[in-house]
Amino acid sequence: MTLLDFARGPAMNFALSLFILGVLWRLIGTALLNLRHLYSLPRKSRSASILQGLITAGSRSWPHKEFIGRTGYGELLGYSYHIGLFIIILAFAPHITFFKGLFGITWPAMPSTWIHIISVLTFTLMIAVIVRRLTHNVLRRLSNFDDYFSWFITCLVVVTGLMASGHMGGPYETLLALHLLSLEALLIWFPFGKLMHAFYIFPSRIANGYFLARKGAPS
Amino acid sequence: MNDSPGNSHTHNKISLDSAMHSFALAIGALNAMRIDSCIHCGMCAEACHFYIATEDPMYTPILKAEPFKQAYKREAGPFAPVYRLLGLKRRLTEDQLREWQHLIYDSCNLCGRCSLICPMGIDVAELIFETRRAMAAAGLAPEELQSRADNQLESGQPESGEPYINLIQDIARKYNTDIPMDLAQADVFLCVPRTDILHYPASVAALAKVMHHLGVSFTFYQDALAAENYGYYAGNREIQQKISKRLIDRAIACNAKTLVVPECGHAYSVLRWQAAELHGSALPFKVLHITEFLAHQLESGTLKLGKVDGTSFAFHDPCQLVRKGGVLDAPRVLMNALGLKLEEMANHQGFSFCCAGGGGVYDLEGARDLRYRAQQIKLREVDATGADNFLTSCSDCRLSFADAQQHFDWDKSPQSLLEIVADNLLEE
Amino acid sequence: MNRPEKSVTIGEYLDAKGISRRSFLKFCTINASLMALPPGTGQVMAAQLRAMKRPSVIYLSFQECTGCLESLSRSFSPSVESLIFDVISLDYDDTLMAAAGHQAEQARENAMRENWGKYVIVVDGSVPTANGGVYCTAAGKTAEAILTETAEGAAAIVAVGTCSSYGGLPKASPNPTGALPVSKIITDKPVINIPGCPPIAEVITGTLLHFLTLGVPDLDAHGRPTAFYGNAIHDRCYRRPFYDQGKFAKSFDDAGARSGWCLYELGCKGPLTYNACATVKWNDGISFPIESGHGCLGCSEPDFWDKGGFYQPIPEATFTDTEKIALAAAAGAALGAGSAVLSRWRRKKKLAEAAAGEEAS
Repeated sequence: MTLLDFARGPAMNFALSLFILGVLWRLIGTALLNLRHLYSLPRKSRSASILQGLITAGSRSWPHKEFIGRTGYGELLGYSYHIGLFIIILAFAPHITFFKGLFGITWPAMPSTWIHIISVLTFTLMIAVIVRRLTHNVLRRLSNFDDYFSWFITCLVVVTGLMASGHMGGPYETLLALHLLSLEALLIWFPFGKLMHAFYIFPSRIANGYFLARKGAPS
Repeated sequence: MNDSPGNSHTHNKISLDSAMHSFALAIGALNAMRIDSCIHCGMCAEACHFYIATEDPMYTPILKAEPFKQAYKREAGPFAPVYRLLGLKRRLTEDQLREWQHLIYDSCNLCGRCSLICPMGIDVAELIFETRRAMAAAGLAPEELQSRADNQLESGQPESGEPYINLIQDIARKYNTDIPMDLAQADVFLCVPRTDILHYPASVAALAKVMHHLGVSFTFYQDALAAENYGYYAGNREIQQKISKRLIDRAIACNAKTLVVPECGHAYSVLRWQAAELHGSALPFKVLHITEFLAHQLESGTLKLGKVDGTSFAFHDPCQLVRKGGVLDAPRVLMNALGLKLEEMANHQGFSFCCAGGGGVYDLEGARDLRYRAQQIKLREVDATGADNFLTSCSDCRLSFADAQQHFDWDKSPQSLLEIVADNLLEE
Repeated sequence: MNRPEKSVTIGEYLDAKGISRRSFLKFCTINASLMALPPGTGQVMAAQLRAMKRPSVIYLSFQECTGCLESLSRSFSPSVESLIFDVISLDYDDTLMAAAGHQAEQARENAMRENWGKYVIVVDGSVPTANGGVYCTAAGKTAEAILTETAEGAAAIVAVGTCSSYGGLPKASPNPTGALPVSKIITDKPVINIPGCPPIAEVITGTLLHFLTLGVPDLDAHGRPTAFYGNAIHDRCYRRPFYDQGKFAKSFDDAGARSGWCLYELGCKGPLTYNACATVKWNDGISFPIESGHGCLGCSEPDFWDKGGFYQPIPEATFTDTEKIALAAAAGAALGAGSAVLSRWRRKKKLAEAAAGEEAS
């Protein structure tokens, strides 16, 4: 079995299994903890509060204008590379083929050349992001192993992907194997670190919006 | 950290176990999700006036809740058994709690601005509040707050001294207003900020005057006078509940339909949004802030207000009213009716910066310097509006700004919206 | 194929057959340039070959389909490549030779004896080893025995085709015959692998010519001549620009396929396959699978039968075990529920302890 066979076969299966196991463990382990019933009289009805929650799920994606002066740059940086990653993952033809193999559905791809350009931009942004994390005083104080490692493992997938699709640094089958292996490492790490924010972001915002709306407070 | 200013720690034994018990009470699916959602983006710091004023990263809001996060991950999270087994997360220590005392009490007003900015929708202020509760349970509430909480629980007064009933009677005489006390039946049950009793007696009189003008049946109770809740400030769950219960019991006893909270911020949010939860059942009466109550009266036509002359006003929205309370429009309805020329600050209504004295910070001697640094942000904002006058609707905010006025030799005195209303009542 | 005149040189032999010097030179030059050898090498090869005696070649066929021999001999339409059969003295080939039975075996033994240490073995087909190797026997001997015995006096062994190079189809899972490649059986003689299913004729002849005149060519990690196997199909594929642009055929004979777009999404293994198909092509350079509209099977790579499906694109994960994943999901849910239950129980216990403690104090 070559490294690529391993990466495409047993390793992928293992990583996907562990990913699903870990994500369900974490989500269910949190969701089944006790939930208190609230007795105070709500200012807004339940449906109005839920609606506000759903609105907050989207509106928190950008800071309120009062906050933008201090946060605009960081937000822009963070969102830009996220958008870049989403485009690369979802619009690059070989990735769509990968998802088709897993889920059976497919969608149109973006021309590969655009993806190459976006990949380079995204990589640059990821470098900017880690530089910011290493130099901003608040981020230096807050950051732990999880923050640095999650960045590293994501960056590794991007870098190996660039190398594989650019045929840089070795025989293609090895580069592709490394790209797949780095993805598998990311999948295995995913449930245990901050990457889980992908699953938490909307429930958390909805809850926040709901409880603030319930009080009649802005969200 | 132990030598930092404001560390007025008690010398009693710190009970880590009690802190863990408090955290256990606070854990649930909601707080678990909040803690797990944090991505260390650092945006909460950009909303916090303590960080903005000092640029010191230790005042990052989510960092204040670190003991809670740590305890949760080790004791109750989905991977907690694995973390414990493999020793991957450290147990919380007493030294850690001691270290955090300054952050929790001196540098947080529980104002909720951080909860508004968090892109992950985490209620950061809530997490900090639960950390404060654990601190208090451990015995780490600062002396000033713990002693006032204990006093208020015992006697109904945070500070010892002249009983409030005497002072109220003095005010009634001085301002020639009847202040009904201990009535058996009333539609509206009222408490009064002890800050007003002690520092702004005109406000107490204004409150009574307005209620009389509206022809509402109302009463105070001498053993449940103070609106403030030092159990809340100290973070003592039990004392907070007991102090609220006193007011609830009295409201029920006089069959009140409404409990009106006068110009006090945290008194409103504590009674409106927390009392029922601690009580364990829905309250059998409505809880309204005085501005809400008056705005309703205005809208239904029972209250008519005259116009004030054309000087300009800047209005401070108390955190506990807007973000923690949900009372956004009522003050403006009143100000509009009064014809006040309102110059809004850049951060107004839901985004209003805290007076920096909230959450008990005003009472802490050791937090004084930090508070002044943070207050400057607000003072500059008020100045930037170009308004001649400065107005608010919370007596503790008023006191905090008055102190700042003295310290910085500021040119504006904080005024009370209620007093202006009382001065401009129109007869039918 | 076999001529009694073993003592004549190749040159004399060719002249006797009426093959012109020009034809032979053309043959040598074509092969030299195919291998990117320096200019003039063709002439050197031609001169060297004409001067030597026809080297003895013993062709052994084991678990094979004869496709490799067909590719080489092009018996339905011989090309200039068939001149290789005039250069070499094919002393044994059980498919092509006229003799059979003991006479055939005798021919092999004679060739071995007379050319000890100098003859070349060409092998196609894999060697079974399970159950004593009974799955391929000739003249009462197992393939393994025949190979081992014949290799003793060989100068080199050329494994033609993926079966003899890497095991090929017989070795595909579950490999019931215990098939092994030549290089796993013979370890003490130089083995040159010329994989492909089948290999391109020019690749076989070019490698043989190189060996006869210039020795063992440069081999890659899989024992293949780098002159022919040094580039991936993908790197020389004429449809590469479409790959780079992201223009893929989605199904056979769809608009993209008819426009000649890349066959990546139809399972082409070009990026992973090293061979000369994209440059040398097949049938005298007429075409190769991709040009004919079918993705590369990866047939010159070891275990190409077991790498998922021919129509499974490279990015797809192979062998996704949905059962295991479902099991993992169930386990995750159980662990999650379990941890929540444990957490709630611990919380209750803590609260009860504290309540009891308060009562006591």
